Amino acid sequence: MAHFLRSCVLICCLVACLGKADASDDIPFSFENDIVPVLTKAGCNSGVCHAKAGGGQNGFELSLLGFEPWDDYEHLVMAGRGRRLFPSAPDQSLLLRKASGKTPHRGGIVLPEDSNGYQLVKRWIAGGTPKGDSTVLVTNIQVIPQSNTIKPGEKLQLKVFAHYSNGMSREVTDLALYESNDLGMATVTDGGMVTALDLPGRVGVMVRFQGLVNVFNAAIPLGTASVHPEPLNFIDEHVFRNLELIGVGSSRLCDDATFVRRVTLDIAGRIPSSTEAREFLLDDDPEKRSKLIDRLLQSPSYADYFANKWTALLKNRRDDASDITSNFAFHAWVRDSLLANVPYDQLVRELLAATGTVIANPAVAWYKRVKEPKQQMEDVAQLFLGVRMQCAQCHHHPFERWSQDDYYGLSAFFTRVGRKPTGIQGEDLIFHQRGKAEAKNVKTGQMVTPVALGQDVGVIAPDEDPRLRLSKWLSDPGNPFFAKALVNRYWKHFFKRGLIEPEDDIRDTNPASNPALLKALEDHFLSSGFDLKELVRAITNSRAYQLQAVPSDSNLVDRQNYSRFYPRRLQAEVLLDAIDELTGSTTNFANLPLGTKAIALPDNSYNKSSPFLRVFGRPESLSVCECERVQSASLAQSLHLINAGDIKSKLSVAGGTAQKLAAQKTPVKDRVSELYFAAFSRPPTETELQISVEFLTGQQSEKVDSETLPEITQQQFEDLIWALINTKEFLFNH
Amino acid sequence: MSSSPFHASSVNCPGPIASNRRGFMRFGLAGFASLSLPGLLRLRAGNPENHGKRKSVILVWKPGGCSHLDTYDPKPEAASEYRGPFGTISTKVPGMRFTELLPKQAALADKFTVLRSMHQGAGGHPAGSMQMFSGDSDTRDKPKPRLPDWMSVVNHLRAQQGTRSNPLPRYVGVNPPTTYNGPAYLGDAYAPFAVVGDPSSPNFSVPNIGLTNAKDVERIDRRVALRKNLDNLQRAFDTFGELDALDQFEAQALTLLTNPKTKLAFDLTKEDEKTRDRYGRNSWGQQLLMARRLVEAGVEVLTTSLRGPLCGRVNNWDDHAVNHHVFDALRFRSEAYDQAVSALIEDIHERGLEEQVLVVVTGEFGRTPKINYQPSTGAGNASAAAGTKQPGRDHWPRAFSNLWFGGGIETGRFIGATDPKGEDVIQRHCGPGDFLATIYHHLGIDSSQVFLNDFNGRPTPIVDHGRPIKELVS
Repeated sequence: MAHFLRSCVLICCLVACLGKADASDDIPFSFENDIVPVLTKAGCNSGVCHAKAGGGQNGFELSLLGFEPWDDYEHLVMAGRGRRLFPSAPDQSLLLRKASGKTPHRGGIVLPEDSNGYQLVKRWIAGGTPKGDSTVLVTNIQVIPQSNTIKPGEKLQLKVFAHYSNGMSREVTDLALYESNDLGMATVTDGGMVTALDLPGRVGVMVRFQGLVNVFNAAIPLGTASVHPEPLNFIDEHVFRNLELIGVGSSRLCDDATFVRRVTLDIAGRIPSSTEAREFLLDDDPEKRSKLIDRLLQSPSYADYFANKWTALLKNRRDDASDITSNFAFHAWVRDSLLANVPYDQLVRELLAATGTVIANPAVAWYKRVKEPKQQMEDVAQLFLGVRMQCAQCHHHPFERWSQDDYYGLSAFFTRVGRKPTGIQGEDLIFHQRGKAEAKNVKTGQMVTPVALGQDVGVIAPDEDPRLRLSKWLSDPGNPFFAKALVNRYWKHFFKRGLIEPEDDIRDTNPASNPALLKALEDHFLSSGFDLKELVRAITNSRAYQLQAVPSDSNLVDRQNYSRFYPRRLQAEVLLDAIDELTGSTTNFANLPLGTKAIALPDNSYNKSSPFLRVFGRPESLSVCECERVQSASLAQSLHLINAGDIKSKLSVAGGTAQKLAAQKTPVKDRVSELYFAAFSRPPTETELQISVEFLTGQQSEKVDSETLPEITQQQFEDLIWALINTKEFLFNH
Repeated sequence: MSSSPFHASSVNCPGPIASNRRGFMRFGLAGFASLSLPGLLRLRAGNPENHGKRKSVILVWKPGGCSHLDTYDPKPEAASEYRGPFGTISTKVPGMRFTELLPKQAALADKFTVLRSMHQGAGGHPAGSMQMFSGDSDTRDKPKPRLPDWMSVVNHLRAQQGTRSNPLPRYVGVNPPTTYNGPAYLGDAYAPFAVVGDPSSPNFSVPNIGLTNAKDVERIDRRVALRKNLDNLQRAFDTFGELDALDQFEAQALTLLTNPKTKLAFDLTKEDEKTRDRYGRNSWGQQLLMARRLVEAGVEVLTTSLRGPLCGRVNNWDDHAVNHHVFDALRFRSEAYDQAVSALIEDIHERGLEEQVLVVVTGEFGRTPKINYQPSTGAGNASAAAGTKQPGRDHWPRAFSNLWFGGGIETGRFIGATDPKGEDVIQRHCGPGDFLATIYHHLGIDSSQVFLNDFNGRPTPIVDHGRPIKELVS
C-alpha cells in the first residue's frame, strides 16, 4: 500500500481525492464505516476502557480499536438494546449519556453533545440503529502530505483520506488517530496538527483509521550551514547527505588515540594494551586505521565479544547445573562460526533447522531453551526479523498489519519439531516429525498452514522440514526483514542508536531515521553474501564512525543523525576485563581456565558468582531483547567501585600493576605515562602529568627531577589507578 | 483538565522547575521527557528541607501468597473441605473474627484495617506479583516485569523533585522482594538499596555503609579528590545526562560510606532490648524493626519480604500440598508472623508515626478455599515425608485479604467481603489498580495523572485502572 502511494504522483492524487471527498454520499452508510470510527476516535474501544482485550469496563465490551465491527454491532445493538440505546429518545441512550458525561463516566467526557461524533451517533440511534451496507469497505488510507519539512516550532495540518472498495473516497481527518513516534521531536493534536519541536532529524507521525495505518514523515531541519568530512564510503554519503538536508554539521574526525580505543572496544570488546596504543600512535602508515580494523576482525576477541552478544539473545541460560555441557557446546558453536565468518544466513539456517543431539550438533541447544512453537516463532520474529508478533497472538496488532493468521501462520513452521528423550536428562534429540505443518488460530478455530508474514512459501510436503523452507525464505534477497534487522542491530552496536529504534521493532509505522542509509547497508550486506565481518568493516571504516564525540556548535542538539559519536558506557563484561587489564589482575570463573575473560563467558551463570557482572547489568539471557542489558548508572555500581572487595583486591594484587610500578626504577613521569597509555591509549597531558606526579611524590611537579627516582608506595599507585578507573574517560567508549 | 485534589497544594511545591532546574535536569533528558509538566505539578511535594515529615510507606510482602481463609477471613460455617482446622477468635473490632493463629493482632484490631475484598487476575507467581507491584494486567507469566513497580516509580518521581539532603537512600529493601518486580524501563538507578541477611543474627552487618575506620575514609576521600582533578573528559556531549548521573551516584555512595548517621540507622543494637524482644528475636521480627527504624530515619519507601526458613520447607508461603502441609505450615510460621506484625502496629502508633507512615501487609494472592490433598515431594519443616498425602491450598487471585495501618487512615475496620466459601469477592471489589492508587495517594501522587515513558517512549500511566480505596485514605 505504502509503495503504491509513494509511486503515485502526489498532485494527481490530491486532486482526485478532493474531488471524491466532496461526494461522500456515494459511500453507503454502515455501522462499520460511520459509527465505529467515532467510537474509536473517542477512545471507547481502547485497552483501558471498553476493549474486550482489556477487560471491558462495567460489562460494556467492544473489540480492541474496533477491529471486529460486527461483534461490536451485536454487542452494542443486540445485547444492549433497551439500556444502552433508546431509538425513541436517543439523547437518553446510556451510550450517549455516558460519553457526554451526563451520567457519571469514569472515562470522562469523550463525546461532547455539540460534537459531530455525538450528533452522528444520535442520528444513527434515532434512525433505528441500522447495520447498513457492509459490502463497502475501506481499502486504504492516505495522508497528505505524505512527507514534508517542518521548521522547528512550526506547525503543519495533516489531511487524511479513506479510500473505499467501491472506488469512492472521503476525508476522515477528524476521525483518524494520530501518534508521534518521538514526543521529543514532534507533537500532534487529535485533529492532526503537527508541531515540530527543536530537535533536528526525522520523525514519523502514525495515522490510524479503522485498522489501517499510514505514516507522515517529517524532516525537522536545524538549518545551519553544515560542513562534513570528505565521504569515504557509501555510509558517509548517506549520513552526510542527511545531515546536509537537515542543516546539521558534523563533528571533526577523532584522533588516533580515540580511534584505537573506540574500535578495539567495539570490535574486540577490550581496551588496547599500552603497547598496542603506543605502536598505533607511532605508525605512520596512512592505511593504519583500516589495517587495525582487519587485525581486530581476525582476532579471537572479535569472536568472543560477538558470541557474548548473540548467546545472550539466544538465551544460552544456565537454569540447572546440568545445562553446563550444552551451554558450553552452544557457545563454542556460535563463537567458532563467528570466528570463521560463516555467512549470517547460513548461521541462522543451522540454528533454526537444527536436528540431532547437542553433542553432535550444538545448535539444537536453542530448542532445549525455547520449547514452545509459539515462543520459537516470537523469538525468531523479534531477533532475526525485527518484528514483534506478541500482540498478534490475541488481536490484530494495532500499529501493524499483522493479524492472528500471520501469527499462527508463522508459528506453523515450528509445529513439526519432534523431540525424543536421550540418555542425558533434560536433553532431547531434535528431529523433523513427518506430517503436515499447521497451527490452530485460536480465534477462528481454523488450521493455518505455514505463511511467512503474508508471503506465500508454497506447499510444504509432509516429508519436508518446514524450518528449511523458512530459512530459505529468510535468506532470499527479496526478504524485506532479515537483512534489514541485522544491519540495524549492528549499526546500533557501533552507533548507540539504531536507524530504527528500538532495533527489534521494525514496522511501517516506525520509520528509520535515515531510510536511504538503511537500504544501502542492507544492499551491501546482501551483495557481500551475508558477510558479518564485511559489514563491520564497512561501518568502522566510515568517516561517520570516526567522528569525535565532542559536539560542534551546530550539532549539540542532535540525538539521532550521527553528526557525532554518541559515547556509550562500557558494558559489564568489558569493564571488568578493562579493570583487570589496567590493574594487572585476573578474575577467576568456575570451570574455566585461569585468565578467561569476562567477554568469553559461555552463559549467564557467572553473574551469580560475580557481583560485579550483576551490578553492572550483565543480562540473564531471559529475553530476546538487547534491552535486557541495563546500561544505566546506579548507586550500587558507585558503591561497588568505591568499596567492593574485588576492586580492592584487584588494585593491590601481588604482581599487579601498582606493585610493579612502585618497584620500577624509572622516572615517575614515565610510570604515569605508562598508566595513561594503558587506560586511555594516549599520553597524559601536561596538567594530568603534573597532578599525578604531585599526588605520587607529594612535591610540586617541576621540582621532581626526571633523573631522581623518588620512593613511591604501592598504595599511592593503587590510588592513582583507582582514580583513572573512575574517570568518565575510562568508563565510557567515546 | 479537571482540577486535581492536589491542585491547591501544588503552589507550595518549591518544585524543580523554577528554583532548581539543574537538579531537575540531573537525570537527563530521558527523565525530563518522561514526566509532563502538569504531571509534575500534581505531585504533592513535601518540603524538601523537612524529610522527616515526608510521607513514607512500608510494604511487608508475603511471597507465595497467604491463605486468607486461615488468617484474616475465616469461614467457620463452610464445609470441612474448605474451612480448615483452625478455630476462630474474636478481635477488638466487633463482628470481625480471625483464626486462632493471630491472637496478638486480634487484640490490636482497633489499630489497623483489614481489606477482605482484594482480587487480581493472574494465577501465577510472576504475573500475580506483577499485578500487585506494577498493575500489569497481563495474566501471562513473564520472567521480568514489563512495568516498573510502585516503589521505583515513587523513587523516580521524588528524585525529580529535588536533591535529597538525608544521607540515607530514599528507597531501601530489607530482604526485599526482587524476583518479579523492579524498575523496568525506569532503570536500575531507581532500584532499592538492598540489605540482605538475617538482622537477628549476631554476624549481621550491612555492607557499604558508615565506614568507621578513619584511615579508610581518608583514603576514599583522597582517591575521589584525585579522580575529580583528573576527570577531564569533555562533557559537552552529555545530552543524555549520563555523566551527571554517575557523579550523583558517586556522591550518594560517598555519603552512605562516610556519614556516621547511616550506620546508626541500620544499627538495631541501638534499640532497647524490650523493643527487640517485642518484635521477636528472629529474622522477621528484626526485619520489621529495622523497617520502622529506617523510615523513622527518613527512608521514604521500604519493602521487606517475609521468607526463608521461618516459612517452612520451601522458604515461602506457597502452600501447595507438594510443598507443605498447608495447616502445619501456617501454624509453623504464625507465631513469628503474628508477633512481628503486631509489634510493628504497636510501635508505629507509640512512636507517633501513624500519620506519616503507611504500612501494607500482603502477598500476591490468596490460596484456594477448597483444600487439595496431594503427596508431599519431600520432608522438612511443615511437610511430611515424600509421598505422604497432605493437605495444600493452591493459588487463588480471585479473593484475598491484606492489612493496612498508619498513614492516617481510619482503623478498626474491615472492608469488603467474600462469599461463604471465601472464593469470590461479593462486596467492595478492589483490584491491583485500586491497591496501587491508594499507596500513591498516601504519598501525594495522583496516579490518574502521571505517565512515564516506557522503553519505546510511549507515555504509560503509572496506574492503568484504579482509584484510591476511599476507606483507606486519610
